[in-house]
Amino acid sequence: MERGEAAKRRGGGGGGHGGKKRCRSSEEGVEEREGGAGDPALRGWPSSEGREQIQLLEETLDEFTENRSDDLVVSLYQMDLDRALFLLRSYLRIRLQKIENYMVHISKTNLWNRLSEQEQRFAKRCIEIMEKHLEQSVLSRLPYGYQSMLKQSISSEEDDMVPEPQLDTFVFCKTKSDVGAFQLDDTGEEIVDLVADDLYVLRYKSIRGLVDGGRIDLV
Amino acid sequence: MLSYYDIDDILLGEEPISVVFQIGANGVGLLDPGSETNNVEKSAKVDLPFWLAHELFLRQAVSINVPSCYSLKTRKEIQADAACVDLRFRSPYFYELGCKLLPLVADKSIGPFLRYTFTSRYKEILCKSHSITGATPKFSSKLTKEESLLLEAARSSMVAFKKWRVGGSRLEKASILGRKRKPTMPTQPSGP
Amino acid sequence: MNPIIKEDHLHLWLAKIKIICLKMFGRRASQLLRELASCEPGQLTAYNTDTFEQVIKECNEHNLQLQSLIRKIEDANLDIQTTRNEDHFGAVIHHLSLARNKRGLMSYMYNRAEIIQSLRWTIGPVLPLEIQEKLNYSEEEYYKNHSTAIEAYMSQLDLDLTVDMVPPKDPYIRVKVLDDIGEVCLGEHTISLTPQSLHFIKRVDAEPFILQGLMEEFLE
Repeated sequence: MERGEAAKRRGGGGGGHGGKKRCRSSEEGVEEREGGAGDPALRGWPSSEGREQIQLLEETLDEFTENRSDDLVVSLYQMDLDRALFLLRSYLRIRLQKIENYMVHISKTNLWNRLSEQEQRFAKRCIEIMEKHLEQSVLSRLPYGYQSMLKQSISSEEDDMVPEPQLDTFVFCKTKSDVGAFQLDDTGEEIVDLVADDLYVLRYKSIRGLVDGGRIDLV
Repeated sequence: MLSYYDIDDILLGEEPISVVFQIGANGVGLLDPGSETNNVEKSAKVDLPFWLAHELFLRQAVSINVPSCYSLKTRKEIQADAACVDLRFRSPYFYELGCKLLPLVADKSIGPFLRYTFTSRYKEILCKSHSITGATPKFSSKLTKEESLLLEAARSSMVAFKKWRVGGSRLEKASILGRKRKPTMPTQPSGP
Repeated sequence: MNPIIKEDHLHLWLAKIKIICLKMFGRRASQLLRELASCEPGQLTAYNTDTFEQVIKECNEHNLQLQSLIRKIEDANLDIQTTRNEDHFGAVIHHLSLARNKRGLMSYMYNRAEIIQSLRWTIGPVLPLEIQEKLNYSEEEYYKNHSTAIEAYMSQLDLDLTVDMVPPKDPYIRVKVLDDIGEVCLGEHTISLTPQSLHFIKRVDAEPFILQGLMEEFLE
């Protein structure tokens, strides 16, 4: 999905409505969505804050409409609401996409705890549906010993068919504070000095700990 | 497994590799199962698809010969003018196959050679991607699969950038429905 | 048979056939994938029943050969776990070919399923005939089930995720109707969407129509 668009909008659409808390919260939404798209793995569920924020906007909008306030004010609130709704929708869509791609992997690792209750239900159903589909069109028609959806054959020792996210991929990231000399590989041959507020392109795998610890942001 | 369902990873396995059998194998011809000539003899030289060659190598049943696309002749051509060499003809999975072969063969110079080839061609691809208009140019038929994707990525981001600058409609019909619409749609779209 | 052919010629000829066979193992399954890869990303080819069935048949043939080689080893009173003779490697090749064919078939269905489920976002809950024709029975069922799963998720959240696919600029847009859509209820009003008519409506209302090619955004 169009990741760049959100960044562009961040500059333009910020002003025009009162309430400092609301304004900030909207910005957080942008960051969350961007992080969600850039991250090859799945981030934690950010609680229901986004949803509450939208309810608040909806209520404000109703209030203004009932009071027959200035048309301009109403339409500004409408636009802010639209913007927040778009962010929430694309954020949830990206999460669903990741769940669809790696559902079996997620269900077997601690990534499962990062899903919301509804997402867990969705993932379970997706696994069942995919299993049924592959079962009836391929697996049930193969010889005994080759009918598993997880193992290539009965002689495989582990699940060697489950797709996993590619963590070796490069990501754009921005440091929040000075990290200092940081080792990128296991052997210590590649070391980079991470300075505050700088942009880097690095392998996700090597900076995963910094992302989880909140010291670096994906952009 | 990272890429069990990955189409390119599977197709790359179809690239032919010349191997020498270190031990015979019986009953591997499907055409005539009863006959004795169904067997591959020891030290027979056979072309196998890479996936089979790889697995048999791991079981020490075959030894692998480095394919001709990494030969001295190709290396000289690359050194002379990297961008002009038709790599797709040699193998559409030139880089990926090379990476997978590296641990299986004694000649470790393939690694630096692949890196040199990729970086020398990379610049050319990005430069050309800006000037492409309309029909696919001749040089793109010489690119490997990976290089074509790179070219396409560069081209489409250029198009997207131009579109963003000019503005215009961002809402479009689903591309899978094709240009022509059937006169009757079976569905009536529901209101929100 | 022609008596002039010498025995070693015959041998050479047979050796050639054998090598061709080995080269062909798993080839057909990869043809399915080549077909899928040849079209534009996100597009779908018609489900290839013929090739698919042939690969299933190949799998069964590999299995027969595999079983008969295993029996041969057992009949010779050799330990099946440790024997590394010609029969063992023959069996290995058939086992690998079977697993390879399975990978081809699974990848074919899996990648098609991914394209099919993406259609829920671009087209809607019911597929047009031109796409339905390309699916096999199980794929149609898969689409319906997957579609229902998304709908269940959305209704739990009470939020329609299939609209708002591009960042919003204005809440309202100007559209031109391309097909006879008829009377449609939008919010509190009912409007008549006749071909070539222009309307100024909510963007989220217009989005599904535009995706299905029934309307287009009208730009001055």
